[in-house]
Amino acid sequence: MITVTINDREIKLEKAMTVLEAARSAGIKIPTLCYHEQLERYGGCRLCLVEVEKMPRLQTACTLMITDGMVVRTETEQIADVRRGILEFLLINHPLDCPYCDKAGECDLQDLVEKYGPGKGRFKEKKRKVPESLQDPVIVRNMERCVMCTRCVRMCEGPQGASAIAVISRGGHSHIEPFSGGRFDCEYCGNCVSVCPVGAIMSRLHRHSYRPWQVKEQHETVCPYCGVGCTVVAQVRDDVIKRVIPKLGSAVNNGMLCSRGRFGYEFVGDKDRLTVPLIRQNGALAEATWEEAITLVAKKLGEIKSAAGSESIAGIASPRCTNEDNYVFQKFMRAVIGSNNIDTTARTGYAGAQSFIENIFGQGSTANIISGLANSDTVMVIGGDPTTVNPILGLQIRACARRGGNILTIGDFAGLSKFGPTKLLPGKYTETVVLEAIVTALREKKGLSGSNGPLETRIKDISVAVADATAKCGVPEKQLSAFVDLLAGAATFSLVIGKEVVQSTGGSYKLLLLAAINYLANGRIYMLTEKANEQGALDMGCAPDLLPGYRPVAFPEFAKKYGAHWHAEISEKPGLNLFAMIEAAEKGSLKALYVMGENAVCNIPNSGRVEKALKNIDFLVVQDIFLTETAKLADVVLPALSWAEKEGTFTNMERRIQRVRKSVQREGMEDWKIVAEIAKNMGYGMEYASSEGVFHEIARVSPLYRDLTYEDIAKGENIYPYKGEPLRDVKEDIQVDTASAAVSAGKLYLKIERPLFHSGTLSTRAASLRNIYPQAVARISSATAKALSLTEGDVVNVRTKAGSLSLFIAIEKNGDSSAVEISNNFESKGAFRLADYTLDQVTKAPCIDAVEISIEKVIA
Amino acid sequence: MFSSAAIQEIEDIRTKYPNARAALLPAIYVAQREFGWLSPEAYEAVADLLNVPKATVRGVATFYAMYKQKPMGRHLIQLCTNVSCMILGAERLVDFLKSAYGVEPGGVSPDGRFSLVIMECIGACGTAPAMLVNDDFHENLTEKNLQEILEKYK
Amino acid sequence: METVLLKNIENPNSADITEYKKVGGYRSIDKALGMEPQQIIDEVKRAGLRGRGGAGFPVAMKWTFASADPKFPKYLLCNADEGEPGTFKDRPILEKNPHLLIEGMVISGHALKAEYGYIYLRGEYPAAKHILNAAIKQAYDSNLLGENILGKGITFHLAVHQGAGAYICGEETALIESLEGDKGQPRIKPPFPVNVGVFSKPTVVNNVETLSNLPYIIEVGGEAYAKIGTPDCPGPKIFCVSGHVEKPGVYELPMGTKLKDIIYTHCGGIKNGKKLKAVIPGGISTPVLPPEKIDCAMDFVNMPKNGSMLGSGAVIVMDETVCLVKVCHRALKFFEHESCGKCTPCREGTGWLRSILGRIESGEGADGDIETLLAVSANMLGKTFCPLGDGAASVVQNFIKHFRPEFEEHIKAKKCVVNG
Repeated sequence: MITVTINDREIKLEKAMTVLEAARSAGIKIPTLCYHEQLERYGGCRLCLVEVEKMPRLQTACTLMITDGMVVRTETEQIADVRRGILEFLLINHPLDCPYCDKAGECDLQDLVEKYGPGKGRFKEKKRKVPESLQDPVIVRNMERCVMCTRCVRMCEGPQGASAIAVISRGGHSHIEPFSGGRFDCEYCGNCVSVCPVGAIMSRLHRHSYRPWQVKEQHETVCPYCGVGCTVVAQVRDDVIKRVIPKLGSAVNNGMLCSRGRFGYEFVGDKDRLTVPLIRQNGALAEATWEEAITLVAKKLGEIKSAAGSESIAGIASPRCTNEDNYVFQKFMRAVIGSNNIDTTARTGYAGAQSFIENIFGQGSTANIISGLANSDTVMVIGGDPTTVNPILGLQIRACARRGGNILTIGDFAGLSKFGPTKLLPGKYTETVVLEAIVTALREKKGLSGSNGPLETRIKDISVAVADATAKCGVPEKQLSAFVDLLAGAATFSLVIGKEVVQSTGGSYKLLLLAAINYLANGRIYMLTEKANEQGALDMGCAPDLLPGYRPVAFPEFAKKYGAHWHAEISEKPGLNLFAMIEAAEKGSLKALYVMGENAVCNIPNSGRVEKALKNIDFLVVQDIFLTETAKLADVVLPALSWAEKEGTFTNMERRIQRVRKSVQREGMEDWKIVAEIAKNMGYGMEYASSEGVFHEIARVSPLYRDLTYEDIAKGENIYPYKGEPLRDVKEDIQVDTASAAVSAGKLYLKIERPLFHSGTLSTRAASLRNIYPQAVARISSATAKALSLTEGDVVNVRTKAGSLSLFIAIEKNGDSSAVEISNNFESKGAFRLADYTLDQVTKAPCIDAVEISIEKVIA
Repeated sequence: MFSSAAIQEIEDIRTKYPNARAALLPAIYVAQREFGWLSPEAYEAVADLLNVPKATVRGVATFYAMYKQKPMGRHLIQLCTNVSCMILGAERLVDFLKSAYGVEPGGVSPDGRFSLVIMECIGACGTAPAMLVNDDFHENLTEKNLQEILEKYK
Repeated sequence: METVLLKNIENPNSADITEYKKVGGYRSIDKALGMEPQQIIDEVKRAGLRGRGGAGFPVAMKWTFASADPKFPKYLLCNADEGEPGTFKDRPILEKNPHLLIEGMVISGHALKAEYGYIYLRGEYPAAKHILNAAIKQAYDSNLLGENILGKGITFHLAVHQGAGAYICGEETALIESLEGDKGQPRIKPPFPVNVGVFSKPTVVNNVETLSNLPYIIEVGGEAYAKIGTPDCPGPKIFCVSGHVEKPGVYELPMGTKLKDIIYTHCGGIKNGKKLKAVIPGGISTPVLPPEKIDCAMDFVNMPKNGSMLGSGAVIVMDETVCLVKVCHRALKFFEHESCGKCTPCREGTGWLRSILGRIESGEGADGDIETLLAVSANMLGKTFCPLGDGAASVVQNFIKHFRPEFEEHIKAKKCVVNG
């Protein structure tokens, strides 16, 4: 116990801390500016100077550690004088911009001067002048206002780890700017904006459009983009989201955001939002009333069900819709349509991979807390750059490196390159042999404990010597052995697996090998998750073979039980998955398709094939918030409310259930409500008073979410395994697909880019994210560019078996010379237009790593 | 892009320290020599070689007065005007350099021959006024001998 | 007093190892490597050696803290940043007696059980860099540096690390930051460098002149060494004198020599028959003294009693032709240029003070300017992150304290009253 006396009050502290922290714990206020709880202490602003007995000089409370018996005074006349003096210094070059500055009303300097500062200035010299910088698309800098607290730089170098801005020069000439001096060209996380105490670094999105005191409401909700599920706070005025900010201390992201969460909300108010239903008449979509649209959908689905049977109708739900939306949708398909033809784009990777891993380690084995990565001593990453797919998860890996942890990667990930990773760079298609060698060596070092029979059976005979692996993959023996040693020495191991592994030839076999490594290194697995509610969609039973809570439809007892809940007869026949639906549509056996919240054409490979298949369907209903490429093919388009306009829940990759809250009022219906209306029209009652009402039913029906309420979620009782025990259902025999591919010399292959600034096609509807990353490009290495005589700014035609696209090129210094990397986010220029595939026999994920691509310059 | 000789030089320097980051200041000197001044390319070359973020490299380099942030003349005159040199006439020499060679503090002469930087005490106070031209110390300066000294620097 | 630090520097080849050995160099290293590290520290304690960089901290105490820390490897850093204006006392050692420093560092490294040493050399000394590198190579070739020095099982590696023009890097934690490849901004203390220094290891930072005393201390023993100078501040000291004296230059004299004697006896008094007007006794950061205050012993104890500081022992002598407003202004230009920018009072205050002084010097001074100068400097004194801000503030305060009438007249006349 450490006892300190502050202003004659005795305070007892249990652990070491600074005088500032001790004072705060006792409710004693000491002014600060450069201090921030997420950042390393700096001691530069000098505002927190306090008197400490027996120390000759005043001390900064934010840097001085308490000692037993310390006596501190924070409110003396001298200290008041000092504070006035420091604030005077800060004001001498600070422009009197308050009436014009966006920070007014939430400005630390304003608040400090008002409380502690001088009433008049005595500065008669020339003020420093710095022009305003509007060169960046989303961040505006008014550096005359900068007080050099350096919180922005320390945030960027520290917790964010991007080191994009720095203090240039020194002394009174110090100024903070990005490398270029103008555009940031950084990760655009905006965490610098969060921590700037004055109006020096601000977001352009809400510039000059409101004052903080005009924000009457703010709503805490979950980001709609990726599977991390960051808490975001939407600040609203007149039903427009003015700004999205993080919340310090929040679960998962603790006050940090990425570019998508921070700058990606403008799609909500975009002018292209669908507002009225559309019905195709004479080949074109025309506006209609809700009554017309709902009646038509109910009628047509009823007719097709009668004529061609329930199995000729399918539904695609969405990893962007809430649990409530997805639950009602699959209930509609099963109870009203009578079909198990229900799936989501989680089928393109997440679904199969997760069930594969859970087959081995049990349910919830990928439900690991993201912040735990920072506490690992060894993190291995394969198959995707965590800093772009799940940025906040990527930050934890950077934090791990900063704390001295080992980062091991198979592959080169730009976002981790400055963190001293131990990299293995095997040649194309040789990852498998590298993994086999690692498993062999690791097993020899650590032995088999006997605690997972089926897994051990599968891996005990894998035998690839390091030397043999080297011969095949090109990774030097020493490097491979050192990598294994680091794995063997790990005390707290974490394994991060990206989509590239799952979507590659022999992906399930690689997952087995990765599971083995995880097992031998006694670690835990994280699967990079691109969409916000992929986990929730699966939990809700949006799968052809599973009911909500992962009960198989094929088991009569479950079909009966759920049938009882839903007052309907549930088919025991597993339905069509996503790819089977496309095939059925092509063949003509699928007559109707209801797509909710999904841009199927763009998010299912191969886009051209999907488009053709959808055109072949007799009746296509698309429910969405924009007229997407998929919606343009529909017979009926139903406009839904977006994520910001409804209540509900998302379940993130940690299996943490979180509340999505309505921020903005808009005319219309939630996705689940529209489905309920159609059901009603088809004679099936779905009366829910609210989303909460839907959730009550989920909690009754799904054994996984049993007895949970919205209050529980708000209270934090929403961490897996919720109120119960997870299911442990380890199958005896682990199946794998050991297909392999081989490189054809001199060929280029398609690689999917998963950029930081985009997520699905939704983000391309957010104006600011488009400003940062405006169009699709074909990324090639400088070697490839040289070989093809291409220079930056050239336009090329890229062609595969599946299709072709015309794109600008971008030359990457350290790019992969065997690949052409293209994103799949821009609707008409998505990589899935080029991606034909085979299916992994076990995970059913599409393997898109063997797509040969040719590239030729377009001569204007 | 660094020449391979420069890369080797920096790698040799790197061995004197337990990590790559500590070689940053010497590496920036090498880059300054190779590129003539610290252009964005120079910063990127250092950043890539030592695997340090380029904004960080620029931030560190601009902190120090002897790293050059703009193109320099062929010969660098570093003249001290701190107190000891000032009270012994250094300011007159600054004026002289302007009138004789057209070079101002912080600038380059019109013919590109000299650039002039004002220094803050170069440790030659007992033989003031003094200056460095490139790596050479010149002390006990007068207008007359200044001209003679600078003749040698073409 | 025999010349110790500047021994043999008249010899044009004094930097060569053979010449150094001819005058007795590298004998102490042999003796020292046969001693236990604690014995050397005890000898240094007996010698009463205090740091020669300006702070005067007892060397043996600093070394004891570093020795007591359990972390290895330990580092010995030689502060050759010599940036205090007026100071040029280390340069003759670096350029003309580098082996003295090297020998001193090996002995000190052994005392500290430090395996690695760096000489942080200011960027403004390019000649010294070449000379030091050549001397270090000679030492390595003679098995006086590196592994198993002189076969005695001691390892000490030494390299030169060049600064790039930042006075603040003379502050030990800023020096360490710079050595690690960062800006030279001072660090929060505690932890102190003796526990967490360069590369997070125990580090001792000592001035060139300090380390150069080691061979002599080992040679004659601490007790004999302590007979030079004064009881509180023993040893020889290099005073470097500049400005309006007949014979400016470096003078190795006993600690405690009177300032008056340095100026008049050793340096030949004020040149051109002029009158003395002001003296800065220990580098620009030390309080300026009027002529009536120069009868004082130049050491760490007596100078503070006399209202100033020994500092680096850099004596700047100014005669009646000097405008002190101009000098004060120029000093603040220096501090403004060298401020690292980390803390508010120094970053903003140095510029403010400089601007006011500039106006006064150019005839645009106004009523109240002197009060503002005093108030602003009072807001800096004791509030800054490191002593650079204190130096700037104290310069202004002391010039006004002793020479206020000149400032007032300069403001009233709207021009320099000394030089018209």
